[in-house]
Formats: sequence, C-alpha cells, structure tokens
Amino acid sequence: MLSYIIRRIFHAVLVVFAISIIVFFSIRLTGDPVAVMFSAGEPTQEAIDQLTEELGLDKPLYVQYGVFMKGLLTFDLGESFRSGIPVMTLILERVWPTFVLALGGIFVALLIAFPVGIISAVKRDTFLDFGGRVFSLIGISFPNFWLGFMLILIFAVNLQWLPASGFEGFSYLILPSITLGLILSGVLARLVRSSMLEVLNQQYIRTAKSKGISKWKVILKHAFRNALLPTVTFIGLQFGALLGGTVIVEQVFSWPGIGRLIIDAINQRDYPVVQGGIVFLALVMVVVNLLVDLSYSLIDPRIKAGKGK
Amino acid sequence: MKKMKHWLLLCVASVVLVLSACSGSDSGSQDENAEGNKENPAANRGNEIVIGIPSEPQNWDPIDTFLLDWSTVATSVFEGLIDRDVNLELQPGLAESWEYLDDKTLQFKLRQDVVFHNGEPFNADAVKFTFDRLLGEQGQAGPQYSNYNSIDSVEVNDEYTVTFHLNTVDPVLLTKLASYGAVIVPPQYIQENGEEHFDNNPVGTGPFKMTGYKRDQEIVLEKNEDYWKEGLPKLDKVTFKVIPEASTRLAELQTGTIDIMKRVEVAQAETVNSTNYLNLLEVPTPTAFALRFDTAVKPLDDVRVRQAINYAIDRDALIEEILSGYGVPIATFQSELSFGYNPDLKPYPYDPEKAKQLLEEAGVEEGTTIDVVIPGNDGNFKEITQAVAFYLEQVGIKLNIQTADVTTLNSDLIPNGNAGGMYRQGWGGWTLDFDNTAYLMYHSGEFWNPSFMDEDVERLLEEQRNSVDQEERAAIFTELTEKLYELAPEVNLYAAVDLYAANERVVDFQPPHDDRLRLEEVSVQ
Repeated sequence: MLSYIIRRIFHAVLVVFAISIIVFFSIRLTGDPVAVMFSAGEPTQEAIDQLTEELGLDKPLYVQYGVFMKGLLTFDLGESFRSGIPVMTLILERVWPTFVLALGGIFVALLIAFPVGIISAVKRDTFLDFGGRVFSLIGISFPNFWLGFMLILIFAVNLQWLPASGFEGFSYLILPSITLGLILSGVLARLVRSSMLEVLNQQYIRTAKSKGISKWKVILKHAFRNALLPTVTFIGLQFGALLGGTVIVEQVFSWPGIGRLIIDAINQRDYPVVQGGIVFLALVMVVVNLLVDLSYSLIDPRIKAGKGK
Repeated sequence: MKKMKHWLLLCVASVVLVLSACSGSDSGSQDENAEGNKENPAANRGNEIVIGIPSEPQNWDPIDTFLLDWSTVATSVFEGLIDRDVNLELQPGLAESWEYLDDKTLQFKLRQDVVFHNGEPFNADAVKFTFDRLLGEQGQAGPQYSNYNSIDSVEVNDEYTVTFHLNTVDPVLLTKLASYGAVIVPPQYIQENGEEHFDNNPVGTGPFKMTGYKRDQEIVLEKNEDYWKEGLPKLDKVTFKVIPEASTRLAELQTGTIDIMKRVEVAQAETVNSTNYLNLLEVPTPTAFALRFDTAVKPLDDVRVRQAINYAIDRDALIEEILSGYGVPIATFQSELSFGYNPDLKPYPYDPEKAKQLLEEAGVEEGTTIDVVIPGNDGNFKEITQAVAFYLEQVGIKLNIQTADVTTLNSDLIPNGNAGGMYRQGWGGWTLDFDNTAYLMYHSGEFWNPSFMDEDVERLLEEQRNSVDQEERAAIFTELTEKLYELAPEVNLYAAVDLYAANERVVDFQPPHDDRLRLEEVSVQ
C-alpha cells in the first residue's frame, strides 16, 4: 500500500510538472502582456522596455521558467502583473467559494441521480425508467450557462425566491449548485442505473430476495451499496469536469471563485495568475484522483491497490 | 413506496417547470412586464444606491491603471487638478485656476479648503508628491507614466501655488491632467502605510470615501462629510457590485438588487423599456469602431480599392438594423465628442455603382478575397461584419471572416501586421483630442499602425503637436481629417452609444460619455 501511495505521489508530481510546462509556454504564445497593459495609453518604447524588464519578460524563456519553477517549489507563485498582489493570496481568497460550489454541485447531483438511477433500474423498461432516461439525456445536453440564466429568470426575477448572483450566504448557493448539479446528475443517474442493473442480476440478490427480505431493503442495503463503487470513482474522475463547469457557473452567478480569477487573468495576459491558477487546479485534480483511488480500495476490499498487476 | 412516488412526482414537476419556463422565457417575462405595473422592488433601500458593473480593476493606485473600470468607481474617490464634468467640459478641480507662463511653464493656484479622507491637508506638497511619484521610479513601471512625461518637474512656490516645468510643448497636457492617471494622492498616508496598503485602501479628496472592498465582489463608498463642495454629495452610500454577465446584471436590476446597471446590451433595451420602474439611458461615447485596412496587403495598397469598399457599405442600415440605432455614423476615426472632429465631413455615401467602378479602375478581379479578423467575443460586431461581407459581395469582393481573441488581436496580430487585410479596431480616444488617436493610428512606426504611411499626414501630425494654440491645432486637424478621409485607411463605421439602465428611484443620474460615473449630485426618491 505504501509503495503504491509513493508511486502515485510521484506520478502526481510528474503530471503537475508537465502541466506547468504546457501552461507556461502556451500562454506566452498569445501576445505580449505589456502591450495589453498599455493598450489605452500612448507608450514610448522606453516605457515598454522598462516594464518588460521589471516584469522579467526580457529574460530568455528558460530563465523565466526556472524562476517560475523555483517559486513553485517554495509555494511562491509570484505576483499578479495587474494588481501586484501575490498569486498565492489571490488563489487562497477564492479556494473556499469554488470548493463550496463544487460541493453544492455534487450534493445536488447525488440527490437527484441516486433516486432517479435506482428507480430507473428497479422499474426497468417501464414508463418510470423511460422518464428517468429522458431526464438523464436532458441533463447531459443542457449547456451550463443557459440553464443558469433560466434558473435566474424563474427563481430570481419572476418568483423572487432566491438571489441571482453573489456569495453572501446559503441562499446564494442554491441556484448555482442546481445548475452545476443538474448537469452532472444526468450522467450520474445513467451510471447509477446501469450499475444497479448489473448488481440486481447477481446471484446474491436473488438469494436475499428468496429469503424473504423486503424488496426495497434488498435494493438499498445490498444492491445500492455495491453500485456505489463506480459512482464514487466517477465523481472523482468527474471532478475536473466539475471544476470546468464551475468556471462557467461562476461567471453566470458572479461567484468569486478560482474560475473567474483565471478567466480574468487570461484576458489580461496576467501570466503569473494564469500559471499559478491552472497549476493549482491541476494539483487539486491530481490529489482528488489519488484520494479516489485510495478510497476505492477501502470501499471494496476485493480491490487491493497495486496487487495482481 | 408511496413516499417514493411523491418524490418522483415532485421531481417530474420541477423538470416540467424548468422546461416550460425555458420554452417561452423571453416572451413570457416581457408580457408580464408589459401588462402589469409591478411594484418597484428597490423602493425601500434608503438614501443609498447600488450599481452593477461588469468588472473592477483589482487595485486602486491611479498610476497602475489604464482601465475604464477603474475610473467608473474611482472618479468618486479621487480628484485631479482639473476636472471634466459630465458633459466633458474642462473646469477647475483641485486647482482653482491655471495659466501658461510660457509655452513650457504652467502655473496652478490650488484650492485651500480641501482635506483628504484621512484628514491630511491637500496642498502644493501633495501635488508635488503626486507627480514625483508618477514620474519617478514607481510611476515609470506603470502604464500612466508615458502620458505625463512631458512634465519635467513640479516646483512648489508656496503652500497653494505650484509650477509645472515642461520639457516639450504639450498641447494635450491640460486634457490629460483632467484624466485619471493624474489624480492627487495623499503623501503622508502613502508614506506611512506603504504602496501595497494604498492599492487596496485608496484615499483621495473625492465626494465619497472607500470603506469596503472585496475583490471581484463589491466596493462600498460612503459619503465624505468634509467634501469641499457645499451640500454634496447627496447620497450616504454607494455600493458597486461586480457582475460580469450582462444577463445576470439585468436580472439583478429587475429584482431591485441594483439600482443602476452599466453596459446594457442592445438586445436588452426592450426588456428595460418594458419594465415600468426602470429607465433606459443612452449616451454617445468617444469610442469609435472601424474596420481598418492593412495597407501593405494587396489590393488594399491601392487607395481606390479602399475608397470603393467605403462606398460599398450602407452604414446607416448597419446601425439601424444591427445596433437598433444605438450608434452614430462617423466619417473619421473619432466621435463628435473629440477635439479635432470635422463636422463638415460626411461618411462615404452608400454607392455600390461607384464602388464597382473604382474597383474596375483599380483592376480588382471579381471574387477577390480579403481576410478580415474580428474579436470572437463581440456578437454585435460579428453581425456587422457579416453584413459588411454581404455588401462587399454585391460589388464582387469576398470577405473571409476570421475571429481571434480580442487581446491577441490587439496586442499581437494587429501590431505585427498579421490581422489579414482588414481588422476591427475600437478606439476610446480617452484624451478627447484627436491627437491621441491620430498619432497612434497614422504615424508611421507606431504600435497599432502596421503599414500606413503618408508624407502629408506625418507632417500634419507633428505640426499639431508643436502648438498649444487650439485654434491653430483645430485648423490642422481639419486639414488632417480631410486628407485621411481621402486616403481611407479604414472603413469608419460608428461611434458607440452606451446604454445604462436605472431604477426610477434614482434622481439626477446622468450617464457619462466616458465611463466615469459622477455621483455627487445623484439622489434618490
């Protein structure tokens, strides 16, 4: 187990390293941040040179990358070109809102997907199952931003039940969480349905039923627990997509999270913030995946990590 | 089982609700607004207003920024020696008066009864400190420096008199001093608390002081009780809420969470108009939009081709159909608000026959294709370009429309001459003097001018810069605009009209031409 963890951590470091290279060099292909900063003024070449030097952009790329890597190792991601604020501060300010939103999204997704998936599986090929599958399909095909605006129109503008944007309390979390969760729930419900079906056909379920245990008890206690495993994995793997989803949802609901930070930074060519933000997200992804793999072996003792391969 | 059924019903019901709401959402909400006089949801807010803005500048040091978003908020916090009122007229600000002692020496008499928000006095030392900082090491690292480097030094004559010594004649300096890079900052406060603290906790002399700032969320301003203008400001509090999406901003306006919305989109004007407690406000801006030519690209190196393309396009129809009339046709790359505007020049008339004839003279073959690059995120302009493509097809030119990220377009493709034969350029002309636009766009070797060059234009550009006599400069600009009109280095389309929306409870709010909200006279019902 220990060697497995160590090996996975090594992989994680490698992945983050690779991403840092990709991000670092690709953003530098998209235009000069100094030109962007001067875009409304009347810059003299002298001023442009001076700022370029100040920001360290006059140095060769590999030197700049070295500075970035050195900073990364000491958790110093540099300062924002635009505001002069340390990137670490900017990220830490926004980790919490994004985390809360992602959690809210997962919660809503589970809340919807489990009942829909289970009922679909149990009532296979009935009208209910059909309804459940249509629901999944709708969930999968909804574009995030559109759904977000619709929810705002209905629940904030017309019904006036919930706030439309910002992050000032629990009520502000509801609409963005539903937006994020509905979309995730579509895929998730399908997954729950298929893994439930698989489990329901197993010998031991039939045995349990024949023993006279009530139907729903069998379904929830025996079948559901076994069907949980692929779901957990899926949520873990889906975490990246979830963070991608939060970027859009954050924009729609003026949510002060990391996604908006990165979007703004990309528009401003604020290299340190883009680099720091994306590497941070990559790190989160890698860590979550690691945790998923580890929890996998905890939920299902048959799977001993790293064995038999 | 029964419970399950209930749950399911609820679930299905909510899906149906979402779907049904979606299908007729637009018409639905409009009908409701049109039929019913809804109650104003913001009616009980008290003596304060909330303003929805798309973004904020992230820091408040005036020498670090060039963003209109900065000025939208900070115009209420900081003041300069010279002020520009909501009608863009220059008027005394922190300086009561000024005079040119000679072409390169400018003297200011300062107002005596002014204190900064932290209580420290405004005086000649504060002015000197501000400009030493702007022109010194600190300022040189920022984008504002180059706007003011005609100032050689600032001399303190007595507590309320300062003299600016210039190293060159600068006819646009007074205009620039009324712009936001030159606002006066408090020396003691900055020296004691440091630059970083000042970034997030700005202190000025303006009608409101900043008392709260949550990055990317909101900015809170409160009344400056010691403001030097008698009886002003009228409001106790102004909150700016950062809401990037226009649709969400409009939703917040409809629900009464905000009172004033900045950047209303053309498509939203109807909804605002049909809501009984909202007012739509429109204001012309100095921002001009054009499809500019890269004159190094064939066949656009031929002036006849450039003129032909100008004749081929029906500007008025574009503005009417696509912008719902919210745009002002222009003949040169500036709006009528800028000094140097030539009212005698009319935009090229729509004359496809003349266009065809010119193209034939220039030997341009039918079906010649021109690459055009526009920003990918500007839906309105995309439609405009498609309409332009339609007009050009009528005279035998095909447009190949490509999109690019707006930052890449402006900072990389245009300066390097890689933006095809035509590209979109929008220009704010922040000094409200054609010099800023014309020099950067037409002087050879400038950043945003990849290829255009004309001897006469070069000469006129230099001449107007060497005079502080505004009449003389106006005459030069008349000649320059005529010359440019003839050379057609771009298809000038329109000057933008900004749309604001305000709750009817807001009184005396005048939308600004230049994004700088002036709120001291604003009150509420």
